[in-house]
Formats: sequence, structure tokens, C-alpha cells
Amino acid sequence: MKKRKYIYSLALVAGLFLANGCASKLDVEPTQSIDEEVALSTSRDVEVTLIGAYDGLQDVDVYGGAFQLASELLGNSDELGFGGTFQNLLEMYNKEITTQNVTALATWRDSYATINRCNNVLSALDILEEDKRERVEGEARFIRGSVYFDLVRLYAKTWGDGDNNANPGVPLILTPTRVVTDANNVPRNSVAEVYAQVLEDLTAAKTLLPEENSIYANKYAASAQLSRVYLMQSNFALARDEANEVINSEMYPLEDNFASLFYTFLRNGGDNPDEYIFAMKVTAQDGVNDLNTFFGATIEDITGTAGRGDIRISPKHRSLYEAGDTRGSFFITTINTYTQKHIDNFGNVLQFRSAEMYLTRAEANFRLGTAVGATPVADINLIRTRAGLKPAAAVTLESILKERHLELAFEGHMLHDIKRNKKNVGTLPYNSPKLIMPIPQREIDVNKALVQNEGYQ
Amino acid sequence: MKKTLLLALFFFVVTWMSASGQDVRITGKVSGDDGSTLPGASVQLKGTSTGTQTSTDGSYTINVRNAESILVFSFVGMISQEIPVGSQSVIDVQLLSDSRNLSEVVVTGFGSQIKRDVTGNIAQVKGTEIQNMPVASVDAALQGRAAGVYVNSGSGKLGQAINVRIRGNSSISASSQPLYVVDGMPITTADLSNSTGGATNPLADINSNDIESIEILKDASAGAIYGSRAANGVVLITTKRGKAGKTNVSINYQLGSSEATRRVDFLNADQYVKFYTQAANNRDRIDGTDPNDPDSYTQYMIGEGGFLDTYSLGTFGTPQQKEYLWQDEAFQKAPMQQLDFQLNGGTDKTKFFLSGQYLDQKGTIIGNKLDRVSARMNLDHQAYKWLQIGLSMGLARTINKRLPGDNAFSNPLQMAALTPLTPFNDPETGLPTGTPPGEVGVPLYFNPMITSRYASFIATSFRNLTNAYAQINITPELKFRSELGIDLLNQNEESYYQTQNVRNVSTASSGLGENFATFVTNYNTNNFLSYDKTLNNHTIGGTLGMSYQQSQNKSSFIEGSQFPSNSYKKIASAATKSGGGSSETNFRFLSYFLRLNYKFSDKYLLSASARIDGSSRFGANSRYGFFPSVSAGWVLTEENFLKNNNVLSFLKLRGSYGSTGNSEIGDFPQLGLFSGDAGYAGAAGQRPSQLANPDLRWETTKQADFGIDFGLFNNRINGEIDYYEKKTNGLLLEVNVPATTGFAIKVANVGKLENKGFEFVLNTQNLIGKFKWSTSLNLAANRNKVTDIQDQIIEGGLANMSRVMEGQPVGVFYTVEYAGVDPANGNALFYKNTPTEGRTTVTNNGYNTAQRVVAGNPNPKVVGGITNTFSFAGFDLNVFFNGVAGNKLNFYGVGQYSSANGIYEDNQTVDQLDAWTPENPNTDVPEARFYRGNGNQASSRYIMDGSYLRLRTLTLGYNLPSTVTSKIKMDRVRVYVSGLNLATFTNYKGWDPEVNTDDLSARDLKFATGTDFYTPPQPRTILVGINVGF
Repeated sequence: MKKRKYIYSLALVAGLFLANGCASKLDVEPTQSIDEEVALSTSRDVEVTLIGAYDGLQDVDVYGGAFQLASELLGNSDELGFGGTFQNLLEMYNKEITTQNVTALATWRDSYATINRCNNVLSALDILEEDKRERVEGEARFIRGSVYFDLVRLYAKTWGDGDNNANPGVPLILTPTRVVTDANNVPRNSVAEVYAQVLEDLTAAKTLLPEENSIYANKYAASAQLSRVYLMQSNFALARDEANEVINSEMYPLEDNFASLFYTFLRNGGDNPDEYIFAMKVTAQDGVNDLNTFFGATIEDITGTAGRGDIRISPKHRSLYEAGDTRGSFFITTINTYTQKHIDNFGNVLQFRSAEMYLTRAEANFRLGTAVGATPVADINLIRTRAGLKPAAAVTLESILKERHLELAFEGHMLHDIKRNKKNVGTLPYNSPKLIMPIPQREIDVNKALVQNEGYQ
Repeated sequence: MKKTLLLALFFFVVTWMSASGQDVRITGKVSGDDGSTLPGASVQLKGTSTGTQTSTDGSYTINVRNAESILVFSFVGMISQEIPVGSQSVIDVQLLSDSRNLSEVVVTGFGSQIKRDVTGNIAQVKGTEIQNMPVASVDAALQGRAAGVYVNSGSGKLGQAINVRIRGNSSISASSQPLYVVDGMPITTADLSNSTGGATNPLADINSNDIESIEILKDASAGAIYGSRAANGVVLITTKRGKAGKTNVSINYQLGSSEATRRVDFLNADQYVKFYTQAANNRDRIDGTDPNDPDSYTQYMIGEGGFLDTYSLGTFGTPQQKEYLWQDEAFQKAPMQQLDFQLNGGTDKTKFFLSGQYLDQKGTIIGNKLDRVSARMNLDHQAYKWLQIGLSMGLARTINKRLPGDNAFSNPLQMAALTPLTPFNDPETGLPTGTPPGEVGVPLYFNPMITSRYASFIATSFRNLTNAYAQINITPELKFRSELGIDLLNQNEESYYQTQNVRNVSTASSGLGENFATFVTNYNTNNFLSYDKTLNNHTIGGTLGMSYQQSQNKSSFIEGSQFPSNSYKKIASAATKSGGGSSETNFRFLSYFLRLNYKFSDKYLLSASARIDGSSRFGANSRYGFFPSVSAGWVLTEENFLKNNNVLSFLKLRGSYGSTGNSEIGDFPQLGLFSGDAGYAGAAGQRPSQLANPDLRWETTKQADFGIDFGLFNNRINGEIDYYEKKTNGLLLEVNVPATTGFAIKVANVGKLENKGFEFVLNTQNLIGKFKWSTSLNLAANRNKVTDIQDQIIEGGLANMSRVMEGQPVGVFYTVEYAGVDPANGNALFYKNTPTEGRTTVTNNGYNTAQRVVAGNPNPKVVGGITNTFSFAGFDLNVFFNGVAGNKLNFYGVGQYSSANGIYEDNQTVDQLDAWTPENPNTDVPEARFYRGNGNQASSRYIMDGSYLRLRTLTLGYNLPSTVTSKIKMDRVRVYVSGLNLATFTNYKGWDPEVNTDDLSARDLKFATGTDFYTPPQPRTILVGINVGF
């Protein structure tokens, strides 16, 4: 009987202990993430969220290559060959994009993820230490304005193709997302509204940002982006003035040697050459250069080169260069011919360099009949002589645009230069719906307020 | 004492009767089907009360009236046999064990029950049914064995995760895999793969030969005791335990060889040249280019320095040109061997089971190998009359030389797409073509032989599954049992890519090493009281208890590049540590459970159970869930009107209803989170990573089940018929949100789906006597339907072709409908399927204007298996077929490149030779147009029937007669040959209809099933084995 009592009490004690000791154990905190309630509480929290925005911008589907690849493939008429298996890129190359195109989706999605990170930063500016507030706001606005600009260029009718106030652009989201309700089914703002927002962000960024800001966006990155926006709007005077401002800063001298502009990892220790105004930094630990992935190829003699070798440079392009043009030999041929601009596996993803500013200033000055900063011929000859060519005696709009094409080839300008100059891609006119990305089918499905682009309905 | 007296009286009567005037004396021995003698078996003269029992050595003596007399031999757990006496005077009988016997005990979760008393639906698979099957994991062995359990091994890679669906897909975004419980402890089964190569299968650490039985809890009544974890069914695995008596030793060795089940025919060299010349010609014709123009596609293909010239390493058109069938290089003849030993025995107080296994198995794809050493010790000890303690401990070490993911150029099967003119080896270097210092740009894609030779990818895991228990008999009726289990899983994944791999792994230009370490510690305790009491006609039973589980997964990894040379393979030598990290995640469950059973007069059965589950995975507002169930049974054959029916020996009606849950949604889905993984250029960064949902709860599945268990002719024919309806609501859904929010999904309880189906089990003893033949059949038909997901569109899988949509089964293929080929011009055509222009067709250019439609269901309509067992004079033959019917497969992963009428240079499947030409206008294959899309977009062209019937296993064994074995002092000597997947009958044109590509995201894998992406086929294995017992 004693034994039985012993057993009963043992069982009871064990049972009670196990039953009560455990309930509080269900409160388990995640170890790798933190609650959104506490994520933005200190100045440092806001600053690291800004770094998160750069991380978003660096995504391969945003400024890590996709916008540039889309521009080059959509703008290509036989200067590039394509031999890859990625259906999304082949569709762009063939100008037969489907609404399921994975780049169309990934670029849209990852761009807005980046914008949300910027919006988180911009919503918490008052938490920042006073001396950091302007810079951080400027960087976040630079990133947000830049991404909206590239989205509207890719997913909507180009500026001036019909009524900018009526043409659907992309939805403008300017506050951070915390909960998702039907109110998040935002329709597309007009092209004009998006451009207005882009200009507001970039102009504010230009004012707020310091002149120097290490690898991050500074005042001149904002100016360079503004010059692109104005050029896209054919606002040549302001495009010229922004470009001129960048050049006059004298912070971005042209490199003497064209070839030294690239191979930032292999030959420059990962640093940007002086000519770079802004680039997405790639390291062995972080970041991928998707221009390298698709334009690049593994060259056996050059350790550290890589790439799928999908995009090849065809003879049609290579025959555009004059004899002696160093840019005309900046190719490498194995089985196919590739550009050397993108074969460095960890090369930084160039966004702006000052050569573009000279070319923009020359074009704008030429169109306006002005010589702000320098004459068009002087600017063009800077570029030509650097490429090992004789200076030109005179320039025409055609020769300026050709110089721009050759100098900035494969850097993401192709489609937009064609569109703003109202030229053709093969037989497709500049405003062909086939040269505009579809709104991703997934977005059309989930957000009934979105209108699909012409040609994809 | 009373019993003894009665028995004595009985014997006395028998002896007296036999002494009085009986004239034929029969003697003999009764043994079981394993050759052991059966003491205490009953030997009865049919139609009389005359009978006897066998003595301790199994022998008996009985007097019968005449030659017409019939003797009935019976024993508990065995099938009775009737033998006419005839002229025999010695009748030796071997009784077959009745694997479906109704008196058999089934494990129910925190207890066990006699099969005839069970009111829920529990399928039992005996360890003997799956022993020595040459598959790496126990879930693969379950295929076709139990009704309503659909197993798809997915790929022929060893140790990969396997899809198991019990009564259909119950979820969309949460897991639909069952809960696995080994000896009372829920074990770690989640994928622990950190690298590409697909999900791993932690069940591969369990030695199937240690398993006594597997019970699959299918309905709510059986499952509710596992509450929020049982909606996908529960698989209870019970390991073998010791038996009192002499120490039995069993040693088994088997040796075999595997080959891939099937190959797909690709173009040979001549066909390739002809086909692609035509494709390039066609393209030039369309472009208006002269085929002799150096810039023409034709010249690109066949001209000097052109494609064929380059990729044949200059041999094209020369006498050195040869044919290289690359696909064959992907496969290897794969030897396997397995050595097992098992010991069991003990005294009445202490019993033990001890086992060990060494398994050494090569995969049928080059580079794949699995090597496992495992040991188990199960101990039971009666410490006092009132206290029993015990320990089960399983240890395993598994080394898996893994393969890359399906969608990697290094996947050996992708070699099928390489040019059949490209030499395997570069004649200049003698190394696999594409190996530096040779030309790295040839073959067309990276050569997987380079990975096979110059890279390694090895996952090593150590597993300790230990469970200790103490059971206290408080009173004879009331017991308290406490179990404490621990499942330790320690896994290391190490890979090294030498510089030769740089074309495939761009970061390997100076070598690349990766090393992942994963530690999963999973503790579990069950503490419960159970009560059993019989009073007159009333039997009551009850179980009340709690369980608590806590699981922690910690992992860390490091990646290094810049190695001094290929001789240095450890990251210690890497000049650049190019990546690294550590992570941790936890989950916990606290549960209370109760079960009550009541039986009246062996006729009426009633059972109710309930569980309360709390989990760290649920939102603060809904932390605890309640999961009740009830069930009832009526044994009609106990009623007077059926009791002595000669035909119907058993009939039971049963029904159950209850609710279970699903909480397999990952950890912390309810919280709004920021993650600190958003650094840039060496600076730390954070990002919003997850939307919050404090109301998040488990999915609830309500299930009704109606069943009939029947036995005919003394249970020689027996079976079960079940109908069930499973309705899941509050699906844990990854709901799409507009990407403009900065998020893609939020996890919410949205939507409903249902599974309805029939299950049918039939076991028959077709022939008994010397030549024995029995059949066991199971069939199940399940209809899965998503009834409400609030207009969500959930798609994924290959090219987003798999979709979850209302009114359709989970994961239907949703794509544009292919309309064949325009006979006039060879254009691929698609149906528009718009409301106004339904059957209007469009060509390639109009593809975008064609609406997608449901093009097939990857879930089989019917799955089943049939086993036939024959035995005669020491020989036994077991033939097991399994099959699925009514499902569709998506071949687009292969087809978009290799059945694409020559759009790219990828080698084509031979059916593409039927491509349209003016001479061959009526075909389904569009005109070949090099680098110009003509029908290779995602469409129903690539959706195919996936039904198959497979001779899954065939085993022929021979037991040496006991006269021989006793001479060599053995209890048993058995030799056998066995085959796995010996024949497959299917119309599927890919490698294997049992396919699920591994290279999809974890989210997609949950619903996007049935996709082929150069996925390695199942192995066909033939082995010989010997088993000795002493």
C-alpha cells in the first residue's frame, strides 16, 4: 500500500510539473529576424534600412543588370546574337514577350521591394540623428526616384508618345507597407505623374546629398540621373545643364585608357575608376553582376572571367567602328565574340560615367545651338581621341548619336536612345507595344485595378 | 486453477474417446510459415467436438474414424487449414500467418488495439513486407502497400525527399506530407539540404529492416490524438523488440546491381546533322537569306567554323567524325550490397533486440552513391512487478554523394541534350571535352562529366534516435507511461569545385569550397495514463496525457574561393572566404490528449478522442487548438442472425468523424518581421521581410469516414471498403499580395479544399495446402478539389504552369492549349480559348492572345498495388505491382529545349523527326525553324498522361528444408533473388512516369507536382541474397 502511494504521488508530481512547466515555452522569438515594431527605433536602424535599400537596388533584377539587359535586348536589331536558354531573355531578344516573362515579373517585384525599403527610411527620418538626416533622405529619394524612372521607361509608353497625362505609367507607392488590404490595389498613375514624382525625388536628392559620399549616391549621381530624365523628356536645356554640372565638378575625369574603365574587380581591386559617377558594387561576398552573367563568358586566359556567354556581339556591330578605334577591338573571341565590358565576374555594375555626360552635353548643346561648358565638337572629340581616333572636324546629330552608341554600347542605353529619337528597332517603330514590357500577369491577376499594356491584353 | 481442471477434464475425455473404438491414428507436426514449431495449436476433427492440441515440439496424435474425416488445424494469428485424411497416417502441416488477421494488434498512437475493435481507419504494413527492399528510405518502400497512400519517389537520385500523400493533398502552402512518429516520438523529417540538389530525406537514416510494423492513421478518429499535426495522416513506425527465449541470430547479405529503368531516344549523329541543316535552311527561307551566304543560319550550322565544325572539334565532315551518344554517359551500372545482422532474445524479465546494417549503394546516375551504417538496440526490462523500463536507440551514419539539381547544366541527364558529334574526350588533352586547358566552350553546354570528375558534393549525416520509457502499473487496470525521446541529427554538406568547373560555377575560377553544418535537436516527451477494464460484457479503455516537443535547428556555413591549387580542397586554404553565416530556428508544441473506448458484448464499439495543441507557430490571438473526434463500430457477425453464417465470417460497420489540423507552415509565420540580411558592399543592412498576421492559426480538416470490414469463408477472403470526405478550411495560404506593396505574399487562413474518395482492400487465400497462393490488393480513388481560395491565383512550378484555382484539384497544369500544326505551312497553332473566339487558332506571334486553360491534373485518380504470394515446397514467390492512373505530367522542362523542333542546338528527342515538311503536312510537330520560336512555348503540347503500372518488386526465395538446416546447426537458411522496378508499362515519353523535379522552390514543391526536368529515372535493381538464422 505504501508503494502505491509512492507511485501515485510520483505520477501526480511528474504530471503537474510537465503540464505547467511547458506553457510559457510556446513563446519563441525568432533568432534571425526582428519584429517590425522594434526594427526602426534608433538612428542606426534607419541607416541600416537605407543600406537595405541599396541592397534592393543592387538586385540583379533591378540595378544589378536587368534594366540594362532589357534595354539592350529590346533595342537590339542584329547587333547582338543570342544563344542562351533563358526563355525570358530570348523573348526580349525576339520582341515577343509574354505576360509570364520572368524578368518582367522579377524586375517589377524587386523594384517595388526596393521602393518599400526607401519608403521605410523616408517614414522614419525624424528618428535619425540630425546631422545624418539630409544625406539619408537624399539617398533614399535618389534610389526611389531612379527606380521609378526606370520602371516607367520600361513598362509604359515613352515620354511624348501620345498624352503623358493619359498614358498609364506605374503605380506610385510613397509610404511603407505594414498591412495589406484592398486599399493596396493601387492603379497605375499616369506617365506624367510618375515623371513628376521622379523629378521631385531626384531634385530633392540633388539638394540634400553631399558632394562626396564614398560608394553611395552623391549630389552628382542625382544630377547624372536628372540629365537622363530630362533627355528622355527631350528637355535638352536641363539635360545639358545637369550634365554640365557633373562635368564641372571635375570629380569624374575621363580615364585616359578606355580599356581601364572595365575589369573593376580584376584590375582595379574592386574600386570604381574615376570616370564612374555611380555603380553597384559587387564583391565576392555580395552582389551579382547580371550583365556579366549574360554578356560575359569564361575566357581561359583571363582568370576571374565568367559568364554564360549567351549574348554575343555580331559582325554588324563590330563593323560600325572606324579603323583604329580601341573600342572596336574591345571584344574577345572564343567560339563566339563577346564584349570585354562585362567579362569580369565580380565587376561593378556601372550606372553612370562621365563619358555619358559629355555625350549628353554635346547632343543637347548641338540641338539647342549652344555651347554651354564646351562646344559639341570639343566634347565629341574628347571621346574620340580617348578611343584612339582622330578628332572630327565637325559633328552632326547623327555623328553625335553614333558616337554615343559606340561609346555606351551594351551599357543599357540602346532602347531608350532609340525611343527618344523616335527611331526603329528593325521594322518595329519606336512606339511599338512590343518594345514595352507587359505588366506581369501575376500583378494583373492579384490587383484588379491595374490595366495591362496594349498588345498584351 | 479452474482452467487447468477444465483442460485436464478435456484431455481425459479426449483420451477416453480415442480409446473407445476409433480406428485410424494420425500423427504429425504443426509448424508456422517460418518453419518454427507451433506448440498449443488446435487439431480438430471437423464436425465433431473431437480434437487435441500440439505438444511443446509441435507434434500431435489424433484418432479419426475413417479416410473421409477432415482435420482442422488452427492457431492464433494463423490461417486455419482443413485437410482430408485420405490414406495418410502422417500429416505435417504448415500454417500460414494471417497478416490481416482480425485478432492482430495495431498500434494506435499512445496505445494499441485489436484490429477487430478498431473503429478508425488504420492501415498496417508489416515490416516483413518491406524488408530488404533496395530503396534508401522507408517511405519509398511504402509505395503501393496501403490503400490511399500515394508515394511518388520523384527521382532516381538516392536519399532524396519523396512525396507522400495520404488521402490526397490537404494543403496548398503548408506541407501535405504526413507526420512520422518512431516509437512514440515525432521525428525530424524536414529537408535539410542547404545546397542545390533538391530536398533531402531524413527518413533515409532509418533502417527499414528494424521495423516491426508501420501503421498509417488515415481518418480523423485515428489521427485526432495527434491533433494539429494529423491532417495529412500520421505514419507510426514501431521498431522490433526482443522476445523471451533463446537468442535468435539472423544474418542477411544481399548483392545487387541497378540500372535506370528507361532511356529516351535522342537523335543520333546523322539524324542530328540532317535535322539541323533542315532547321537552318527553313530559317533562312523565312528570313529570305541565301543559304550560301556566310551570314546565313545554314552556314552557321554546317559551314566552316560553323556550329557543327566547332562542336565536333573539327571532325564534322571528316573521316574522324564519329557518333557520341551522350545520354548513355549519364548512366552507370550501379552495384549495391547490404549486410544485416539481427539478434533478439532475453528472459522473461529482460529482452533485447540488437541489429546492425551496412548498406553500400551506388546510384544509376554517375557520381551518385549512398552509404549507410546503422545500429539499433531496443531493451525492455521488468524491474519490478509494477515497473517496466526500456530503451530504444538507433544510430546511423549516412554518407550521400549527391547530384546537382535537375535544372543545372551539371545534372548528368542534361548530357542528353549535347550534340551527338561532340567527342566525349578532347583528343588534344585526353580529358573530358570542355576541361581546361582544352577548349572550355565545347560541348554546347557545360559537360557534366567535368563535375563528376572534378567536383564533389557529399552530405554526411549522423542520427541518434533514442527513446526511453518507464511504465508503472498502478493497478492491474491503470498504467502510467512516461516516454522521453531525443532525435539528434547532425549533418555536414561539403562540396568542392575545382577550377575545371568554371564554366558552370563561375566563382570556381580558383576553386570553390562550400561547407554547411546543420544540427537539429528534437526533444519529445509523452506522459499518459491508460486504463483498461472488462466488466461482464462491458469493456472500457481510456488514455489521458500530455506531450511536449521542442525542436531546434541550427546551421552554419562557410564558402571559400581562391585556392592555391586543386590539391587544396578545404576552406582553410581559401584566400577569400566568400560567404558565411549561421542561423537558428525553433518550434514547440504543447499538447494534451484524451481517448475513451467502450465495447459492449464484442458487438458495439464506441470511441472518442480529443487533443488540445498549443504551438509557437500560431499567432498570439489563437495559440491553442482543439481537435475532437468520435467513432463507432458494429460487429454484425456477433449478432445472432449472422453468428453462425458459413459464408460471412466477419462483418463490421464503422464510422468516424472528427477534426485534425495542419501546422507545417514553417516557423514564425505570424510575425511582421525585418531581416538583417540586406547588407550592401560590406555594410550591414536590414529590410522588411514579412507581413504580420497575429490571428494566424492551424488549418483544420474535418473528416468523415464510413467503412466496412468483412471476412468470408473463415476469413480466407477479407477486406475493407471505405468512403471518406475530408474538408479542410482556414487553409494556411501564402496569399499573393500586389508586389507594389514591396511584398509578394502574406500568410493567412484563407480558403477551403476537399478530398473525397474510396478505398478498397482485399486479401484472399486463393490456394492453401502444399501449393499456396494468396493475393492482397489495395485500390484508392481520391478526388481533390479546391473549393474556395477567395479568387487567389497561386501559380508556380516550371514556367508558372502549375496552378491552384477554385473548382480544380491542387496544382493543375494551366497553360495555353496547343492546337497542333497548320498543314499548309508548318506553323504551330494555339487555341485562343477566349469567350468570343474559343476555337480560333493563332500562331506563334499570337501566343500572348491565347488564354490559358486547365490542361491536366497531376494528382492520380486511382492508385493501387497488388501482391501475389506463392509458395511450394520451400520455394516462395512474391510478385508486387503498383500503379497510378489518371494523372498528367509536365514534360516542358525537357520539351522546351529538346522536343522543340530544333529551336536551339539542343539535341532533340527522336519524335521531332516528324516535324512538318511540305511532304509531311499532317503532323503534330511544327516545322523546324532554327532560333525562331515555333511552338516551344509553354502549352498543352507538353502535358502528357502519367499513368503507369509497374512490377515494383518480384522476389523468389528458397528455404532449405529443416532436414538440411538442422544438419548444419542452423534454424533457417534462405536464398533469394529479388528485382525492383523490373517492368514499367506507361505511355509517358520521358524517362520515368514517377517524376517530380527537385529544382523548384520549397513553396512551389508543395503543389507543383508532376514536372520533369531531365529528372533521373528510378533504378531497376536485381539482387541476390542469403539469409541464415541460428
